[in-house]
Amino acid sequence: MRPARLAAGWWFAAGLALLAAGCATQQQEAFMRGVGGVDGLVKSVTQLAGGVSEPEEVAMGRGVAETLLGARPLVDDGELQRYVNAVGTWVASQSERPDLPWRFGVNDSDHVNAFAAPGGVVIVTRGMINALNSEAELAGVLGHEIAHVTRRHHLQALRKSAAMNLLGATAAAGAAGTASRELVSALVGPTQELYARGLDKSDEFEADRMGVVLAARAGYDPFGLPEALQTLARIKADDPYLALLFKTHPNPGERLDRLAVAMGPGFDALPDARQNADRFLNATRRLKPLPR
Amino acid sequence: MKPPRFPGFLLFLAWLLPVGPAAAQASGVPPETGFTLRETEVRAKPFLDAVPVGKLPERTLVTVTQRQGGWMLVKSPAFEGWVRMLNVRLGNVDSRKNDTSFLSAIGFGRRPGGMPTTTTGVRGFSEEDLKAAKPSPEQLQKMDGFAMPAAAGVQFAAAGRLSSRAVPYVDAAGKPVKGAK
Repeated sequence: MRPARLAAGWWFAAGLALLAAGCATQQQEAFMRGVGGVDGLVKSVTQLAGGVSEPEEVAMGRGVAETLLGARPLVDDGELQRYVNAVGTWVASQSERPDLPWRFGVNDSDHVNAFAAPGGVVIVTRGMINALNSEAELAGVLGHEIAHVTRRHHLQALRKSAAMNLLGATAAAGAAGTASRELVSALVGPTQELYARGLDKSDEFEADRMGVVLAARAGYDPFGLPEALQTLARIKADDPYLALLFKTHPNPGERLDRLAVAMGPGFDALPDARQNADRFLNATRRLKPLPR
Repeated sequence: MKPPRFPGFLLFLAWLLPVGPAAAQASGVPPETGFTLRETEVRAKPFLDAVPVGKLPERTLVTVTQRQGGWMLVKSPAFEGWVRMLNVRLGNVDSRKNDTSFLSAIGFGRRPGGMPTTTTGVRGFSEEDLKAAKPSPEQLQKMDGFAMPAAAGVQFAAAGRLSSRAVPYVDAAGKPVKGAK
């Protein structure tokens, strides 16, 4: 399987190089025939992204996480960090990929945002924690990020973007005998760019629906995520604390409208759905020194 | 070589124990204004089969005083009762007039000391900050130290009276996705 992927990568890199040069030459025609025309090219690319192994995915995510944490460090509060890991690990255990090396962290930023990196890294900002009111809300937000990881949304986005150029090039290096470490490090930069640009809207809506379900599976009130979005929905659109979140996500009102349709009445009657607001407020009390 | 994390977890779990008697799961919120997104049934209790009290037309201003599960307790001049939360949007009917800042939305404005008067000092995570960031392996290692084994997650859930249940994923139209848990 692996040699096929690398070969596909080589062809793809070569294709991009030719297409970038913008010359419809005989060479290019020969190339397109070689990969089976446009359909073949698309297929190669698909194989390539699908072929990133789990260890490579994890290594990529760790590379990205190093940079996210380089931008803002973790909040220096071990109790809070362990608490968020406990909620996250429990919610992730309800997903299709419970055995990934899940890592959750709260970083020291006043901005409201949350980030997932491939392979199981989830970082939420202190500002996001401050905007939440219960463990059920936190579970919903983490569930949304967990869904990005389990569905490999970042890898899919890279596949569709020009970053595939790099992916192809490094895969070609791999074909020449070098290790996949290069593949991994070459993908870290483009993945970071995704945090400034955002994923596809459809991926965000899917992550919302999955986040709600993951929280519900974990025993939480599934309306935690909608409630968090309600808070965000009434904040003015140009608030500096939310600038990046608003730029990279559909607006919270639209997300709520979609969730209203997707959730229907089916989530209303889950027995003993819990909010665990007390436990959340206790764990985050140092971030919120004054009672609401 | 794994760091000796376990004593940390035991302490953590011990910290979880004084959770106290089952807390009421209805959450009181400071009264907030909102409006109905669509014509909305008002009920005496937060259940679909509860007695209907009346109907609120689209874009009716309401005051939200309580939340429970997917329901909000709202007051309007005509009725007081429970409506489905996703039929209500907090804030102004005209979202362009929403001037609520993040700090007031999360309650800073209600706190002694009031709101910071400037946002230029926001400790950021802006696009620029992200692009300028340098990797920090130390921070990643620190994050590894807080990771939780799945078994500890299960204990954490039990301490919070959380039990897992089968809920299928849903598609955009709300239909269960086949083959899901």
